[in-house]
Amino acid sequence: MEEVKKTSKQIMNEMTRDVYVRAAEAKKAGKPVCWATGIAPQELMTTMEIDTVYPENFGAAMGAKHLSGPLIEVAEEQGYSNDICSYARNNFGYVDVKHVDDPVNLPMPDMLLCCGNSCNTVIKWYENLAKEMNIPMLFLDTPYNYMDEGASEHQIRFMEEQVYYMISQLEEITGRKFDYDRFKEVMEISMQTGEWWLKAIGVAKHKPSPISGFDLFNYMGIMVCDRGRPEARDLFKQWYEESMEKVARGEGPWKDQEEKYRILWDGIACWPQLNLTYRTLKKYGINMVASNYPRLWMITYDSPTIASMVRAYSENVGANREIPFELNAYLKDTETYHLDGLIYHSNRSCKPMDFKQYAIRKVVIEKTGLPSVIFDGDQTDPRVFSEAQFETRLQALVELMEKRKEGRKEDE
Amino acid sequence: MSDYRALIQELEAVCSNPAAAVAEEMKRSGRRAIGCVPAYTPDEIIYAAGILPVGLWGGQTDIKLADSLLQNFCCSLIRADLEYGMKGTYQMLTAVVIPNFCDSLKALCKNWPYGDTGIPVLGIAYPQNRIPAAFQYLISEFQFFQERLEKLTGTKVTDEALEGSFGIYEEYRKTCREFVKMVADYPVTLNAKTRHHILKAAYFMDKKIYTEKLRGIIEGLKAQPKEEMEQFKVVLSGILVDAEAYLDILVNNHITVVADDLAQESRQFRTPARAEGTALEKMAQRYMDQRGCSLIYEPEKSRGQMLINMAKDNDADGVIAAQMKFCEAEEYDYPIYRKELQKAGVKLLYVEADQQIEAAGQLENRIQTFVEINR
Amino acid sequence: MFLGIDIGSSSSKAVLLDEEKRVLAEEALNLGTGSNGISQVLEQVYSKTGRTPKDILYSVVTGYGRNVYKGADAQVTEISCHAKGVTHLFGEARTVIDIGGQDAKVIRLDGEGNVADFVMNDKCAAGTGRFLEVMARVLNCDIYRLSDLAAKSLRGTQISSVCTVFAEAEVISQLSLGSKVEDVAKGALQSVAKRVCGQARRIQVAPQVVMTGGVALIPEAVHMVEKELGEEIAVPGSPQTVGALGAALFAWEKYHR
Repeated sequence: MEEVKKTSKQIMNEMTRDVYVRAAEAKKAGKPVCWATGIAPQELMTTMEIDTVYPENFGAAMGAKHLSGPLIEVAEEQGYSNDICSYARNNFGYVDVKHVDDPVNLPMPDMLLCCGNSCNTVIKWYENLAKEMNIPMLFLDTPYNYMDEGASEHQIRFMEEQVYYMISQLEEITGRKFDYDRFKEVMEISMQTGEWWLKAIGVAKHKPSPISGFDLFNYMGIMVCDRGRPEARDLFKQWYEESMEKVARGEGPWKDQEEKYRILWDGIACWPQLNLTYRTLKKYGINMVASNYPRLWMITYDSPTIASMVRAYSENVGANREIPFELNAYLKDTETYHLDGLIYHSNRSCKPMDFKQYAIRKVVIEKTGLPSVIFDGDQTDPRVFSEAQFETRLQALVELMEKRKEGRKEDE
Repeated sequence: MSDYRALIQELEAVCSNPAAAVAEEMKRSGRRAIGCVPAYTPDEIIYAAGILPVGLWGGQTDIKLADSLLQNFCCSLIRADLEYGMKGTYQMLTAVVIPNFCDSLKALCKNWPYGDTGIPVLGIAYPQNRIPAAFQYLISEFQFFQERLEKLTGTKVTDEALEGSFGIYEEYRKTCREFVKMVADYPVTLNAKTRHHILKAAYFMDKKIYTEKLRGIIEGLKAQPKEEMEQFKVVLSGILVDAEAYLDILVNNHITVVADDLAQESRQFRTPARAEGTALEKMAQRYMDQRGCSLIYEPEKSRGQMLINMAKDNDADGVIAAQMKFCEAEEYDYPIYRKELQKAGVKLLYVEADQQIEAAGQLENRIQTFVEINR
Repeated sequence: MFLGIDIGSSSSKAVLLDEEKRVLAEEALNLGTGSNGISQVLEQVYSKTGRTPKDILYSVVTGYGRNVYKGADAQVTEISCHAKGVTHLFGEARTVIDIGGQDAKVIRLDGEGNVADFVMNDKCAAGTGRFLEVMARVLNCDIYRLSDLAAKSLRGTQISSVCTVFAEAEVISQLSLGSKVEDVAKGALQSVAKRVCGQARRIQVAPQVVMTGGVALIPEAVHMVEKELGEEIAVPGSPQTVGALGAALFAWEKYHR
């Protein structure tokens, strides 16, 4: 009997769950488990075969499953301000209750891995975890790139030194030698995964795009949790190939709705309202073809060396760069992705992603004339979102995009 | 004997009109000025370049222009700095130095060029991770800063000038440490408001001149008998407490600041330099030695124990956690040190406020109650 | 005779005590600081007892207007006053939940009339009387009628927004989608109860719990807090004047010290 090949979506769903299953098994077997920030050098943990889970990914899942609210309340009762990142509040709540009513749970960590490229918030967050649980913390500090050109040589050197320091910590914690050959292999796989990820999400350039934008948010989890594994690389390759077949067949994102408008989504998803936002966009035929959030994981580097790796971790993350880095990418996107407009999620949780939106929006409008709207929301705090506001802003965007299209037709 | 009252008045006048004080000092010395955004900047290098470093710690301004670049849930100190930059208050500055201690500071660095301030930015990235390699990194970063400063201003910083400048700053810091210790003995003269004004004036003056005046105040006061008053002694912790309305509440409730852990005050000078090394090495080492600051990664999180010690050593009645609204770094520290202070039996009050205070009613309620129940 | 005055953000209260700490008169008026509410209330207590300001041995003022009002001998915060007043009325009380116009506060008592710890809402109005006023306005009813409406509801509409402005928009859209007015009324009261209980959990809640302030006059609101907290709640006969009572008790103490 011939085996039916699984679709990339099926594989993605299985892999998403397996991350937590593997970590739970490791924990049961008495092996150490690591908690890591979203864009940390997993290469080290993958080399050492230490099962790693990502509280940010878990937070997003809790949000999407409508389980984040109670966890957030627990953290606030401990004295955490409702101002701080809701991924962090989710996690502090979880550390207290240690269990949620869901098949997937987060095993408690024996060590932490933190990278400061996304924000200083994760540094404070993990500092608290390290103190409260009294466990070792591995830390890659990526000095903020205040120069448009990116990291200077002495900054690269500092980051390299930190990697060697973390390796010595790992050797001490596990009592095992670090295998540099294996490390090189893992870096190579990670680079390939990164390249296939970029290729796969780049399929949305086609008009219509066979990828419905929220696929980006769904597949992204694998990029967060598994990018050092060949399975991830193969998954994105398969997704790419499937999508290209759809392109050849001229398929759009939906069977029951036409792709009328193509937009870029700036910011993290509203996980508790993921369905609602998706449905609302679809209702108007709006497809999200690009977003800076999934793109954060384009950790592609030139060669499998520590210097090249740390440069990627420092320079490829918009939050760690000056505004032109993202601005220029957006200006390019308007052409490459045939954008009709942009949506900016002013996210109460994510200050680094918020506090550049006004400047970018202004320049994008000046240079391209593309309409855009900003709405208020939060990545996982269900209380900071107004359905009415979201839909009103979206309607306004549709009107602006429509007007612009009409204007173009008249010009032709 | 120095007339300490006249000196205090002089420093208070500087505080009441910083722009005028800076302009006057620029005129007197023929020097240019560079703005230094909190929390830590290499002022010694700027000073050695023959330029006056000026502290930019926000202020009481209506925030209008900055709203076009930063959402209103960005910390009010950062928004105020951007506002002043955009409305021209900082016009006399040759450049602003913006460090990277939190996400809002990075945001200020990012957005500054989009605010049409006409003032160039000099970025600097202090290490968060203070493993031994960070020491060498910070020295390199200081050197990189120095190169960019020299290029921008057409100056040259000699090693000799830097050694001299470091000496002046170290003397300034030592004198400040001495000054804050005297407050408990002179709670009438050095009430919460005057104490703050005296310390804050340093940001708008030449440090050498400032230190002489502060020395004069110390000596003058020492010659006076110690002052007695019915008071409530606190340790202030947080970024800053500088709004007049806020300080008035402290004064009206007879609150004496016997010690502080404010970024704007003691965190600037509480860590003394080590004796050995070049000026840059000593600057870097001071930063490596800094403890208990929310803005620098420290896995041991020694702040709680530090506050407990400060309260006990200074016989304080309590600690006030003066939370700057939307300051995440401080918000993360609070639940941890709250637990530690509670366990140690140290009374703690958490009060949250923007830097700009209009209606201080609720703030006063909380502070007055804290005094009423713990006196 | 001893006078306690409480000038709040949206109401003024006064209490007169005799030498035996018996209440001679207590009055509340819905005019807050900045109005002539306090002089009206004082007139009422004087005319009721037939006394004049000359009979007052000592007076204490509390509330938001305490710093502006110049006619009292001393001023004390309403947190201390509520603690004092509640302990006088309920000797066993250990927790006070006071929801007023601007503030919601939870006070832990030490059993001797002193404050052991307290928490207050942040600047945002969610969880305060102001929030309920906004909701009542949207529902086009009096704030006290929210209770009758809510009592008729089987299931409260979930109001998830923390921000009052957002919550207003949310409620309007829910009404337009066909939510029943009584369900929204219940949802609004639930939302306040949830917020204040969230605060309460930051300090330890111990029985007996007493609720004071204007919102304690809304039976359904008290009921919701009871449910949310899992504790029975006692409400004084005149919950609005507890702060003024505390102030009068302070006046008595200060005079006899």
